Amino acid sequence: MPEGRVAPVGAAAGQTAQQGLHTDTTAKWFLLSSIAYFFIVGIVALTIAAKFVWPELLGTVPYLTYGRLRPLHVNGMLFGWLLPCDMAMVYFIVPRLCGVKLWSEKLGVATAALWNVIVLGAVVMLPAGLNKGLEYAELPTSLSVLVVIAWIMFGINIFGTILTRKYEQMYVSIWYIMGTILWTAFVYLTGNFATQFTTGVNQANLNWMYVHNAVGLIFTPVGLAVAYYFIPRASTQPLYNHRLSMVGFWSLSFVYVWTGAHHMLHGPISQWLQTIAIAFSLMLLIPVWAVVWNFFGTMKGQWHQLRDNVPLKFLMSGTVFYLLTCFQGPMHSLRTVNAIVSKTDWIPGHAHMALLGCFSFFAIAGAYYVAPRLWRTELHSDALANWSFWFFMIGGLGFFVTLWLGGFWQGWQWNNPAIPFIDTVKALHPVWLVRFCSGVLMFCGIVSFAYNIMATVVNRREEHA
Amino acid sequence: MLNRADKSAGFAIGAALVLFFIGGTLTTVIPPLVDKSWGRPFENHDPSKGPTGKLRPYTELEKHGLAIYTREGCWYCHTQQTRTLVADTKRSGWRGVDSPISTPDEFVYDQPHMFGTKRTGPDLSRVGGKYNTQWHRTHFRNPRDLTPGSVMPPFPWIANDEGEFQALLAYIQRLGRAKDWRPDGDYEQ
Ligand code: HEC
Repeated sequence: MPEGRVAPVGAAAGQTAQQGLHTDTTAKWFLLSSIAYFFIVGIVALTIAAKFVWPELLGTVPYLTYGRLRPLHVNGMLFGWLLPCDMAMVYFIVPRLCGVKLWSEKLGVATAALWNVIVLGAVVMLPAGLNKGLEYAELPTSLSVLVVIAWIMFGINIFGTILTRKYEQMYVSIWYIMGTILWTAFVYLTGNFATQFTTGVNQANLNWMYVHNAVGLIFTPVGLAVAYYFIPRASTQPLYNHRLSMVGFWSLSFVYVWTGAHHMLHGPISQWLQTIAIAFSLMLLIPVWAVVWNFFGTMKGQWHQLRDNVPLKFLMSGTVFYLLTCFQGPMHSLRTVNAIVSKTDWIPGHAHMALLGCFSFFAIAGAYYVAPRLWRTELHSDALANWSFWFFMIGGLGFFVTLWLGGFWQGWQWNNPAIPFIDTVKALHPVWLVRFCSGVLMFCGIVSFAYNIMATVVNRREEHA
Repeated sequence: MLNRADKSAGFAIGAALVLFFIGGTLTTVIPPLVDKSWGRPFENHDPSKGPTGKLRPYTELEKHGLAIYTREGCWYCHTQQTRTLVADTKRSGWRGVDSPISTPDEFVYDQPHMFGTKRTGPDLSRVGGKYNTQWHRTHFRNPRDLTPGSVMPPFPWIANDEGEFQALLAYIQRLGRAKDWRPDGDYEQ
């Protein structure tokens, strides 16, 4: 192994000795529930996309109005699909990197049960109009309290495993997972509880700190932990450079939290705070480029593997989307660019590239990789997995690109006050139609992905019957 | 130093938290202490310092209106901030008068804040007094009756419930009025 390269496990030889050590019940439960919610919330996503094309669709049913389904879509995808799927990966990865059993499988299963209570609660409460009124923190306080409890249970289990580990050296993924658990605790408390004691601009500032870091210090570190583990695993290559992964991790932990106020550029918030947010937003390029360089370096001379390795396809295209989305972010924070794209449809294009194009791709790759291993069988169909990749890829690109073009055009029109507002709405009608069609493609991706995993689980039962 | 974080979980945790807390405190706890306008309600009697007026707390009816606005997710489609962009002052303005720029002291009673991130519909920071009651009733029943091509959802359950409609209306008509920015009190009822 060239100098500086590390394999994603303390001792590579330990791998075979670990066979049979892990029961993985918790990982299985989290994985299956997250995929079920991916499907259910996918239907909600399609519905709200359709409402932009046919605004009167389901228009007389209060529970199904756009303003109540949108938070269900966002919270459902974030806390019903992506986070629990990432948690399933964590429950899978950490015991293997530590060479020991999960600290408590019972506690883990209880966490999974509680998590399902939370998500089902959200599915009922958000359409009923119970909404805290803060983006990403919509869940009513009763559910937020349960989230905190579940998170503590998750933390105890993972830290318990890490502290009893057999290998002294901790692989990169472990740092990111520890960071996720700790930062999330504070970020979540700020966004859901501290905001309740403040008003106006002060509250908005805490709200954006939370929104930005829900992505930056929850989904980013756990997503990168997953990618850092599965890219070397799926390609059977050692990680390119250990030092580079340190640069990425430590710069992330310092830089990310400063940037919340870039959500209110030109808005009623102190100018100096806006300037700080812009400066740190530009610095975000450092942790991103360090990570991407590391991932690409790992693939050096191995790109041919992309031809028929589906998890690797998801991982590497996720990396490209990560690079792009994290280039957009700092650029949006420049005042001149912000004056055009802010508040337009460009922004959902950007947000979907981060959470779908990048982090969901990583999570899907992880699911395809671990499902056969969890149930000790083969994936139901490699061909179908490949189809799901192209559904997600083409649907995703259609979605991102049309919203960028449309959003940029929209922002350009807004900056010319001679154009009546309603004309800028009409101009976007075709864009929203294409967005809906891309959504249909992505939904086909969800269905083929979910079916493949479920069939893998069920087939395995039949083999043993 | 970084190599130590590689082997000791305790050290890694400590370092990750310290780095996080530096930015965390400096950008959330400190700013409201430094910039007092975040917490002081708007009050100005001097025309040379911009629009005059005074911000008062929400009435019970307006609070109910804000709760409806929150419940129905109006804020996913409407922002409430006239930014420091010329186009914003023109677009939030109406009948030939430009809107004054939004300042932090106009929002100190807002819980939850309704600044918004997405403008599918127009900004509402100065919509108070722009339209009369009848206009709003028709608009909530079906926006396309007044504005063909609109993608705003219909809200018949609000338009047909007098209590809810009056509350939401009271809230809408209050928006942006702390700064008394219209010449000769040119506001609709
Ligand atoms: C799906 C996005 C969407 C939602 C949700 C939405 N609106 Fe709208 N709204 C629009 C659009 C688009 C327009 C511009 C066309 C029109 O006048 O209908 C508009 C216009 C308006 C206007 C007129 C603004 C002006 O200056 O002409 C008001 C007032 C308004 N909406 C209030 C509300 C309220 C109150 C709610 C919640 C009960 C709401 N809207 C929910 C999209 C939305």
